[in-house]
Amino acid sequence: MCKNILLAGCSLLALAASPVYADHLVAIAGPMTGQYASAGDQIRKGAELAIADINGKAGVLGQKLKLEIGDDACDPKQAVSVANAMANKKIIFMHGHWCSSSTIPASDVYNEAQIPMATVSTNPQVTERGLKNIFRIMGRDDQQGLVAGTYLADTFKSKKIAVVDDKSAYGKGLADEIAKAIEGKKVKLALRESVTAGEKDYSALVSKLKSAGVEVMAYGGYHTEVALILRQAQQAGLKLTIMGGDTLTNSELVTAAGAASDNVLFTFSPDPRKNPAAADIVKRFRDAKVEPEGYVMYAYAAMQLFAQAAEKAKSTKYADLEKAMRGGSFDTVIGKLSFDAKGDNKLPGFMVYRWKGGKYDYVGK
Amino acid sequence: MALALQQLINGLTLGAVYGLIAIGYTMVYGIIGMINFAHGDIYMVSAFIAVTAFTLLASLGISSVPLALLTVLVMSVLFTSVYGWAVERTAYRPLRGSTRLAPLISAIGMSIFLQNMVQLTQGARVKPIPPVLVGGFDLLTVDGFTVHLAYSQLLIIVVTVALMTAFSYVIGRTSFGRQQRACEQDRTMTALLGINVDRTISLTFMLGAMLAAVAGVLVTVYYGVVDFYIGFVAGIKAFTAAVLGGIGSLPGAMLGGLLIGLIEAFWAAYLSPEYKDVATFSILILVLMFRPSGLLGRPEVEKV
Amino acid sequence: MPVVVLAHQAPSAKERLRDAAAVAFVALLLGIPMLGLTTVDQGGALHVATRWPVLGLFVALCFAGRLLARFGLDRLQLARRVQRPAVGAPARRYRALPSWLGWGCFGIALVLPIVFSDNRYIVDTATTVLIYVMLGWGLNVVVGLAGLLVLGYVAFYAVGAYCYALLATQYGWGFWQALPLAGGLAAGFGLLLGWPTLRLRGDYLAIVTLGFGEIVRIILVNWTDLSNGPNGIASIPRPTFFGLPFKPGDDGTTFASFFGLEFSPLHRIFFLYYLILALAMLTNLFVSRLRKLPIGRAWEAVREDDIACQALGINITNVKLSAFAIGAMLGGCAGVFFAARQGFISPESFTFNESAIILAIVVLGGMGSQLGVVLASLVLVLLPELGRDFAEYRMLLFGAAMILIMIWKPGGILSHREPTLRYRGESGSP
Repeated sequence: MCKNILLAGCSLLALAASPVYADHLVAIAGPMTGQYASAGDQIRKGAELAIADINGKAGVLGQKLKLEIGDDACDPKQAVSVANAMANKKIIFMHGHWCSSSTIPASDVYNEAQIPMATVSTNPQVTERGLKNIFRIMGRDDQQGLVAGTYLADTFKSKKIAVVDDKSAYGKGLADEIAKAIEGKKVKLALRESVTAGEKDYSALVSKLKSAGVEVMAYGGYHTEVALILRQAQQAGLKLTIMGGDTLTNSELVTAAGAASDNVLFTFSPDPRKNPAAADIVKRFRDAKVEPEGYVMYAYAAMQLFAQAAEKAKSTKYADLEKAMRGGSFDTVIGKLSFDAKGDNKLPGFMVYRWKGGKYDYVGK
Repeated sequence: MALALQQLINGLTLGAVYGLIAIGYTMVYGIIGMINFAHGDIYMVSAFIAVTAFTLLASLGISSVPLALLTVLVMSVLFTSVYGWAVERTAYRPLRGSTRLAPLISAIGMSIFLQNMVQLTQGARVKPIPPVLVGGFDLLTVDGFTVHLAYSQLLIIVVTVALMTAFSYVIGRTSFGRQQRACEQDRTMTALLGINVDRTISLTFMLGAMLAAVAGVLVTVYYGVVDFYIGFVAGIKAFTAAVLGGIGSLPGAMLGGLLIGLIEAFWAAYLSPEYKDVATFSILILVLMFRPSGLLGRPEVEKV
Repeated sequence: MPVVVLAHQAPSAKERLRDAAAVAFVALLLGIPMLGLTTVDQGGALHVATRWPVLGLFVALCFAGRLLARFGLDRLQLARRVQRPAVGAPARRYRALPSWLGWGCFGIALVLPIVFSDNRYIVDTATTVLIYVMLGWGLNVVVGLAGLLVLGYVAFYAVGAYCYALLATQYGWGFWQALPLAGGLAAGFGLLLGWPTLRLRGDYLAIVTLGFGEIVRIILVNWTDLSNGPNGIASIPRPTFFGLPFKPGDDGTTFASFFGLEFSPLHRIFFLYYLILALAMLTNLFVSRLRKLPIGRAWEAVREDDIACQALGINITNVKLSAFAIGAMLGGCAGVFFAARQGFISPESFTFNESAIILAIVVLGGMGSQLGVVLASLVLVLLPELGRDFAEYRMLLFGAAMILIMIWKPGGILSHREPTLRYRGESGSP
């Protein structure tokens, strides 16, 4: 029986594991399920339209692109196994992952398998480890933290400010940078705390904020916790303004926090929807009933980056692609992309936004 | 001082919810001696039903809060009790009388099944509802800190107290309660006395599911957000509460729930929010070291 | 033995229909809130969406399924009743499992990478199976042999994994140096947990171990200075082949250059596979030897009746503690291998679910059966892997399979346990 199961299992696996591909395999990875699934959804929609567009023209080097989708649910463990699976499928380009804590371990696997990747993860460690295959098409947390911290220190000088993070690579990195920037402006922090992401009860944190007289809180972490904290603060009779990072672009925040979301500020790269060169693509997204918010345009840009780099290198081999990406300058929907030696892009940094009535826009100066 | 009072309120609210769920564990344990690992997921199912019901009512334009609450409560309790019944009927009844571990594994399987079923049918995203009960009482102000009792917290505490009273009556005074306690004592003897044991066990599961459903609705009102993972955490906490109070004992379950809620609230406010669960479990281990049957549990009689 | 004879009549068509209709009605009630209704996020607020056709299909399927299943089961039962031997005939004895079966499995495991030498995926999956086999054999000592219900076994696995990860990344220890230390440390944790709690009975012990598992996980999540918190530890060095690393490149002697082979990432995968195979076989040898020693006998005796053991002068605390420590040590060793193979660990890998799966392997396999653990690991690892094509449904099916296997064989797949001792007079001695 043991033998039969094993053999049956093996032969089935053998069937499942060795398909033959003729197209260029490119991949995206991110949280397609789990509590951050809406970000994964944005990435998928952006990448799908980009690939449809590229294939609709001439493909890349005369061949069509085929998209593989990996789901890591923002869990570092799953990210590594997704990365292994992708390396097994011999993909030639990866756009992902989304959470910094997934991108960092997964990038080791891609590096070993020699797969170039473009990511929107913002933790500095993503590009600081000397891996040659990583290109970041988003800004970094140290830039983002500086912008957010400076804004808070300037705008809310007279109020008590707390900095809270969720201990994730992204959240803690960002919160540390914000705290540094605020203290650099000689403003004292009223409270520095950490919470555990994924919980539902933050009433103790809210009580602490209340008893410290905090009115403004900078949060390093994801939108789900921000919504809960806002709601519980409101319930406890505390009016709280929250400043966060790029993850708060998610409109689920508004669904979950309701009207309280008008008190949410966040930093994000200049809105690609306002880029006049991309107006055409924005319209195509809206025609397809996809609002090109958050990471949609970035996923589109990542695919453009790959296509242009491959055309320029006349090859899809790792060494050629890597050289082309590092040396070249690429016209994408988020602007002209070019990279420094570490793989960070040279686009202008971050802006401060505010949610208002379910939409976000730059804060008025 | 004011902070302590505030955390007392927060802790009691949390503890009341744990207590309601813990009763389901403790009753099932008392009657068939198994840990119903899927109970936390039953609670999660009820919270999802509550979200759907609230959204449905909102789209029908029902804006009266008491009416909406009552309707949602009834809907959630009804549907969830069917789930409680079905879980027992499919996963546990076929295993009655087999080894002690078989139903445990089947329960773990059921828990995985329910979680994934909800994830598939309702989506993996967090489900928020707009605030139902807004506002509350300001109790007192000390040094600029206002102790606030939200209406939703008051609701949780009041409903829990009312339910506990009704429940002690059901178990203590009605014929179903007597049958239930008889089954706990000796199932074979009870069967010989002409009581339908299977039916009593089914009803016990349904009753446990109903209490979990009430907890699910209350939590949905309180936090306003549910996801398919809430059952696991709440389940473990409630199970810990049941054991802390002495598994098999109903007042023990409530007491355990309240204790755990208070430990969490105070630990998080005064020591560190990250390690509040460590505190909970450490206190459980400590209590069990000195009282091996929990706070209100009867010591087991070992027969040789 | 009194015989109860029940007059069975095949149920009429009407009864069958009524029964199926009752099931369909319950299915309808269950389905309305989950299948029939759902909420979708439409631009900032939830809206209710209905899926009545899906619900209808589900209810119809339940109706038809129940009708057919009932019919089939009745037929089966009837056939069984006809075949049932006369009262008084000796009860059917379990056939002892032929001893070649275990060797056969071992043989297959030995040649598997050679047969599938070009398929990384199969060897990778087989490695995962073997990790679970080793964990299952470790937990089997505690649950299967000593009869202590442990729901936090993953804590020891985590201790082993983090021990190696930290020693290797911070202090440059090698796999082989860290293995005994991590095993010892895990055993120490076992003693630490076991000492105060082993006088608890049954389910109280279960919840305490569950709590312990959670405590370890929460500490790993929150003690960021030690464990890097939820972000885990990356770039854990892989084990080397007697000091020869598996990597491409020209710097220093590598495995490939030493043996004059062309570098291939497969070398390391094969090596890891044989490494875990060796570790697992060592575990098996260790445990099956222990079972024949007085300590192993004492474990099983305590499992059957600890009061009688006490009366016979066995120190049950020490017996239980030794089972705990040995089980923990094996878990710790498996953890070291896990960390070395993944190259990355985070607290997410050590949740209660993992404990539940390991426990399920032991119970599904048939408590105390070594071969059963192998079978159960195969089933529980391959099931989700085979299900990758319907990725969304695989965990759903996994849960359902756990329930169904338990109902089908409540004692586990291989529920028969070869007694360690027999009366001389009893027939069928090995």
